[in-house]
Amino acid sequence: MIYPWKSAIYPRKSSANDTISSVDPRLIIAIFIGKIIAFLTKLTGSGATAAPGLYALKIDPSLVKKLSNQIQHGSIIISGTNGKTTTARLTSDILSTKFNVIHNRQGSNLLRGIASTLISKSSLLGKINENLALWEVDEATLPEAIENTNPQVVVLLNLFRDQLDRYGEVDIVRNKWQKILEKLPKSTTLILNADDPGISILANNFRGKVIFFGVNDKKINLPEISHVADIRHCLACGSNLEYSTLLSAHMGHYKCPSCNFKRPSPRVTVSNLKFNRNFSTSGQFSIFNLRRKYQANDIFQFSIHYNLPGLYNVYNVLAATAVARIFKIKTSVIKKSLENFTAAFGRFQSVQIRNKSVLIFLTKNPTGTNEVLRTIATKNKINLLAILNDKIADGRDVSWIWDTNWEILKEKIKILSVSGTRAWDLATRFKYAGFNLSKKLVDEDISYSINSTVKNLHNKDTLSILTTYTALLEVQKTLSKMGSTQWHEQ
Amino acid sequence: MNYKLNICHLYPDLMDTYGDKGNIITLVQRCKWREIDAKVSNISINQSLSTFDFDVYFFGGGQDRQQVIVGKDLQKKAKDLKNAVENGAVLLSICGGYQLLQNYFKTLDGTMIKGIGLFDAHTIGSTTRMIQKLLIEINPNLQKKITESYPPNALSFWGSGDSRRLQNQNQTDSGQVLDPDLRARMTELVGFENHSGKTYSGKDLQPLGKVLVGAGNNGEDKTEGAVYKNAFGCYLHGSLLPKNPHFADYLISKALERRYRKIKLKPLDDSIEWQAHQSAIKRTINQ
Repeated sequence: MIYPWKSAIYPRKSSANDTISSVDPRLIIAIFIGKIIAFLTKLTGSGATAAPGLYALKIDPSLVKKLSNQIQHGSIIISGTNGKTTTARLTSDILSTKFNVIHNRQGSNLLRGIASTLISKSSLLGKINENLALWEVDEATLPEAIENTNPQVVVLLNLFRDQLDRYGEVDIVRNKWQKILEKLPKSTTLILNADDPGISILANNFRGKVIFFGVNDKKINLPEISHVADIRHCLACGSNLEYSTLLSAHMGHYKCPSCNFKRPSPRVTVSNLKFNRNFSTSGQFSIFNLRRKYQANDIFQFSIHYNLPGLYNVYNVLAATAVARIFKIKTSVIKKSLENFTAAFGRFQSVQIRNKSVLIFLTKNPTGTNEVLRTIATKNKINLLAILNDKIADGRDVSWIWDTNWEILKEKIKILSVSGTRAWDLATRFKYAGFNLSKKLVDEDISYSINSTVKNLHNKDTLSILTTYTALLEVQKTLSKMGSTQWHEQ
Repeated sequence: MNYKLNICHLYPDLMDTYGDKGNIITLVQRCKWREIDAKVSNISINQSLSTFDFDVYFFGGGQDRQQVIVGKDLQKKAKDLKNAVENGAVLLSICGGYQLLQNYFKTLDGTMIKGIGLFDAHTIGSTTRMIQKLLIEINPNLQKKITESYPPNALSFWGSGDSRRLQNQNQTDSGQVLDPDLRARMTELVGFENHSGKTYSGKDLQPLGKVLVGAGNNGEDKTEGAVYKNAFGCYLHGSLLPKNPHFADYLISKALERRYRKIKLKPLDDSIEWQAHQSAIKRTINQ
């Protein structure tokens, strides 16, 4: 049996009004301890969102299973190298129009983060009022998260080289995913990126329903960039994949010349994409009726204009739309939610410091960074502060900066500063990319770099800050101190 | 006279996972800044080496799946590659590339990937992935050659950008500013290792260096990498050459020596590179 924990005591679809029929002392102690730790960490202001879950799971390792099983409409899992946070937030915004959603919005995307979120919404007796769970899940945690939450829907966005110091190889991650997906019951829906051959292939040997999303444009209005591809060969037979359109990294319209593996035709799609200079995006959505077999006239079409930049966010928007359609949200509601969305912390943010603007982009791996660079390169006279840290959450290995196509900005830079624990590695990268870099503008001290760079800006200038994960908080803190008037963090 | 170097990037489309491309970028730029014309040719599956006369070969790391494909094709290039090394060509191989140039690589599930035996060594797959910053002291036989080939004037730039360093400076007779700390660092290489294969060398094979921090070849005997003539193998990603300019220049000078004669390299301002070297070491020691 695949799900031995599914016992009669925790029926999967109990009504939200039910209380747990028999008292589970272990679970209750775990929740109690978790809540105390959450209270203490709140008092000390440490902001450790994983700690309550971490300790509660030590007391009751089945806590996530037990609490997940009483959520009426089940769980949704979102994973992938790039875009999980944004996709989860988009999805949450849309689904909240109809459901009472529990979501690890603030917290860690490991199992302990899911546990912490469940504990925070649970009563002392283990009762949760929310009727739908939405979990953003780290790539390496996906198998564990699936085993513990028994999801209704699994969304897989993409798989790129990222933090190889943590995950080893991309192939290792994919093989683990494949194994866990094969075990899922037929009632599960899998939402996959049609344009990533390393994701679409996961439909093989999966027993449930699969819905693909993808970009139908053959060309996009972003500058060309030299891509890093993690897949060049058919994962089924090993032949060279052929691309009629290459959109980003190894994503595009591909087919294998030797076997029958090819880009599946997506049922949630966009075309006529336009990336605007104010970092908004517009396009034409086409969504097939996901509940019925394909019929040409059974299709929803609408134009959309939302405030997120770049190709990478297009996939996030499509994935969120696919989830929303499965949960029968009206397209008019989806459109409205997407158009009202503002990005998650640091993914793309705009703040105002008196009469200067600061844009913040999270950069953490070659493909994600390349897409951000492409987006920025639509402008001229760019003021750039690039920050590279090498702590665990950034990836301790900074080699990836050499796989990233910084050269694309070379002719467009006005001011360039570099900061972070590995500022000098990044400075070396810029030097070898042919940038004119003054050593005075390289400093490991992030707060110093932000202050001095902003001071160098003219009035009405914009500074783009590209930063790895662990530096984001320091960026936020520094900018608040400098009196930023607008900060979109909930 | 304008010098020219031909660089061969082996399997850049398949062995490109760990940012090793930075080594190629570094060789090319350091040549360009000295008006040495460096041309890079990409050589991959089914392309022969026999019609070329390359001065430098570079062979980076990839994933296991790619390594199997490359391992098969490499057999067809074995003779040309070994001849080139015997004739003094420079070769830098890293991680997966290094492993394929050995006698064999036995993966964890028992699969044998045949190498080409350029380095008398072999690699055995293990369950532990050695993933960390790696700092080595260069083999003493090489240290002196590397220090000699690195243009001494380049050291005078050191410290000019960072006042915190100037307290350590010494002045030589010729007026150069030398940092004793830097002299010491020229004996080291710093990078990042990410491998699960453990490499064991034959008794006559010289290691590239001694492990100071990290695992190196196998995490057991404190050796890292291999040297055979002008061919080098190691587990140092990072990329290696950008933040180890002394080693980059050694490879360039050896390549020039093969094609022309011993040529003194023009000094470059390497202060940013040495700062990167130092900060990487600092982070390595504190890891």
